[in-house]
Amino acid sequence: MTAINNKLVFFIVLALILFGLTARANSYDLEKRVREFTLENGLKVLMLERHLAPTVSLYIRHRAGAVDEISGRTGTAHLLEHMMFKGTKTIGTRNFKEEKKILDEIRRVGNALDMERVKGDTADKEKLKRLSQQLKTLQKMGKKWVVGNEIGRLYTENGGINLNASTGRDLTTYHVSLPSNKIELWARIESDRMINPVFREFYSEREVVMEERKQTTESVPARKLMEQFLASAFTAHPYRRPVLGWASDMRFLNIDYTGEFFNAYYAPNNTVIAVVGDISPDAAIDIIKKYFGKIPGHKLPASHITEEPKQKGEKRTELLYDANPRIIIGYHKPTLPSFDDYVFDVIDSILSGGRTSRLFRTLVEEKGIAESVNTANGIPGARFPNLFAIFATPRYPHTNKEVEDAIYEELEKLKRELVSEREIEKTKNQLRADIIRDLNSNSGLASRLSYFEAVAGDFRYITRHIKVIEKITPEDIMRTAKKYFNQDNRTVAVLKRKSQ
Amino acid sequence: MKRIRFLITLIFLILFASVACAAEPSPLINPDDIRYQPLTFTPPKAERVVLENGMILYILEDHEIPIVNISAIIRTGSIYNPEEKEGLAEITGDVMRTGGTKNMTGDEIDDALEYFAGAIDVSIGMESGSATLSVLKENLDEGLDIFSAIIMNPVFDENKLKTAKNLKIEALRRVLDEPQKVAFREFRRLIYAGNPRGKLPSIDSVGKIARDDLVRVHGKFFYPGNLMMAVVGDITRDEAVSKIKRYWGAWNRKGETAKIPYPKAKQKGATNYIFKDVPQSTIIIGHLTPEKKNPDFYPFTVLDFILGSGGFRSRIIHEVRNNLGLAYSTGSFYSGRSGYGIFGAYAITKTSSTAKVLSLIMSIINDVRNKGVTESELSWAKKSINNRFIFAFDSTDQIAVQQMMIEYNKLPENFLTTYRTKIGNVTAEDLKRVAEKYLPPNRATILVVGKENLQLKIFD
Repeated sequence: MTAINNKLVFFIVLALILFGLTARANSYDLEKRVREFTLENGLKVLMLERHLAPTVSLYIRHRAGAVDEISGRTGTAHLLEHMMFKGTKTIGTRNFKEEKKILDEIRRVGNALDMERVKGDTADKEKLKRLSQQLKTLQKMGKKWVVGNEIGRLYTENGGINLNASTGRDLTTYHVSLPSNKIELWARIESDRMINPVFREFYSEREVVMEERKQTTESVPARKLMEQFLASAFTAHPYRRPVLGWASDMRFLNIDYTGEFFNAYYAPNNTVIAVVGDISPDAAIDIIKKYFGKIPGHKLPASHITEEPKQKGEKRTELLYDANPRIIIGYHKPTLPSFDDYVFDVIDSILSGGRTSRLFRTLVEEKGIAESVNTANGIPGARFPNLFAIFATPRYPHTNKEVEDAIYEELEKLKRELVSEREIEKTKNQLRADIIRDLNSNSGLASRLSYFEAVAGDFRYITRHIKVIEKITPEDIMRTAKKYFNQDNRTVAVLKRKSQ
Repeated sequence: MKRIRFLITLIFLILFASVACAAEPSPLINPDDIRYQPLTFTPPKAERVVLENGMILYILEDHEIPIVNISAIIRTGSIYNPEEKEGLAEITGDVMRTGGTKNMTGDEIDDALEYFAGAIDVSIGMESGSATLSVLKENLDEGLDIFSAIIMNPVFDENKLKTAKNLKIEALRRVLDEPQKVAFREFRRLIYAGNPRGKLPSIDSVGKIARDDLVRVHGKFFYPGNLMMAVVGDITRDEAVSKIKRYWGAWNRKGETAKIPYPKAKQKGATNYIFKDVPQSTIIIGHLTPEKKNPDFYPFTVLDFILGSGGFRSRIIHEVRNNLGLAYSTGSFYSGRSGYGIFGAYAITKTSSTAKVLSLIMSIINDVRNKGVTESELSWAKKSINNRFIFAFDSTDQIAVQQMMIEYNKLPENFLTTYRTKIGNVTAEDLKRVAEKYLPPNRATILVVGKENLQLKIFD
């Protein structure tokens, strides 16, 4: 065959593949492209075919996060997420029967040590020393049976990338992208860790998350201020807690409660899976049924989450820190699928979406008083009523106060003057284009589908969202601004440089 | 006889049945024993087209969604910054984007672009500049009008320049707020000391930048022969060529881009400290290493994977994080570039374990120099690198830009098609050899940012 013929064949094949995709009235009509299954045990599976390259993105989301922890045990959901990488009864061990004996001892001694440590100054020093020594010896003995980081080894060796997990206030997520012929490996590992996780190396991992807290919260002024902001904005609701946990809780997190949390919430009927990429949905669902189908479902705990009482007056908080000033302002509001939440998505875009947004143009370009200004709708989560938040950094020598006043001026403007039709239309155009752009990545799609299925109860929220947005009028925006952007509904957190 | 045989069969059956009953409901397969269908995949190739004025295009059609993306790469960079004008290249990129063109002001551009949800970015980094356009197909012409004018006829409005300088200065003031930012910035200054790559903007140098400087940078580097463009998405090949010709065909400026010397490996290492009152120390240990064209690129890629970039199982992460719980972020990185490569091992650990972690990482590196790696580690690393290679072809944008970058970096055309074989051929001896050659401890550039070892200084 000549080179030209080769190319011709290639283009015909390409055309056929592409036609297959575009032939469906709207290739970007998400709802029609997603295949949806619910296994008998309640596990929800969403699948979407994309055939550019032989790769697949896999997301697992459990509807459990930091909000579901009991008081005094903050950080458990996150530490559990770390522990899930330690293996199972059949992955990561040389002989589980032998290892188990030592693990039981480690748990017993570890608990005894924590019970003594928690006494603080009145702790029995001798006992502490003895127990620490005992724990160290046991950990050394345990190592003999451990094959460390087997899950990581298996995934990377098979070409996995972006192997990671994240814990939020609402959800806990595990994801990886693999060559598309390796779905069975993922199903084997993930279903096993939903049934038989083994919390080996628990106490050294507890040290790791404490380092994580020092690195990502204590040493980052924006994160430290955020922590204090949320703890002020929410008086009672668990959205006030940091996901990593409070330092004094983290030091005493234990295997028993971590296990209880796992048993309560990592149920198949509390889990959503999304599979996006070069797959055959029929073959994929067979594999998923084979591995995940045997996990027994169970009744979820009737958890009681403290409601946030209505705010009655402004809250202000100050963080002294060796860094340049910054400010966060937040207003309480309802979460999805309340109509007002959609309006806030539009307000978000009007205020800070791009270089033409109101806050950027005024504060950064015209007045030149801010280095950055951003807004976000739905802080810090979406399962419960949340906040609309504004984040800004003043530009030296300008102050938090100047930036704060300028922000209020813009919010007042929203209450006073109707937004122009063109400004709303711009926002709608952008939201429409975002939907199309989001279709261009397997992992992005898998993430969004599973997120909205888990949080909103239906991935179709994504496509319905734009239909609701289309209906929003300038009057809706004014009404919403008037209803929520009020001083008595406001929390303000400022970072002020600690004088040396 | 018959009877006995019957009995044996019976016993067998009973035994077998009982064994079957007692066993777990289907034992789990060992994950290493799962068999997979072979993958066959021929990635699409972008077509290379050269315009009469010398501009090189890479075109790849992708009609899945109605979007067209254009990525241009320009041979320029902060390495060309004149003495005492550090920051000029970055600011030039910023103000090309924001400062308007002959036909439109910057604000008019923003209004038009954001109304039809298009996006344009221009940025100039250390060794190259990039300009990108992303638009819905229906707005392609409007997008190209603006994009081409930004590349060819930017006017660098004084007010927008002032804003860009102010923002850059504020960002520099804020570097000190975060220990990791301080660490990676200062590491760059140290590892490239004596080379333009080690010159970083300061509040002072940004202050000195004037509009004429920007005009000069644009005049010097933005000409057809110094720029390549990847056009990807919902557009046919012919349409792409004719549109690019329509906008850039009459652009006939000539120029010549000088060569900047590459950084050289240090003859003598040093340990540097920066004081910052934070609860952890950031530790970086760096070396200059093989460039991408060097045959040692392949063994060094495998070495880096085993040392600290191969996830939890790689040695540094396994030891420092997993076994000892001394860090959340730790590992290594290696980037083979044109003319040189850069390697770093790093960890962020609580103040009291600074010395321990530093010496631990040094000993992990030395261990590979002295004893090499095991066959099973080598096989794991090679399999991992080769199996994940498919993700280099995960999107059409990536495929086209990648092909363009191979030409930009003057790599052999078969770089991608031979990559896996070359990784596959790496031996344990190669790894020991490159570790000895490129990672001698007495030539390491070491930086510690934190409370430990209170030898203040450095940041200006």
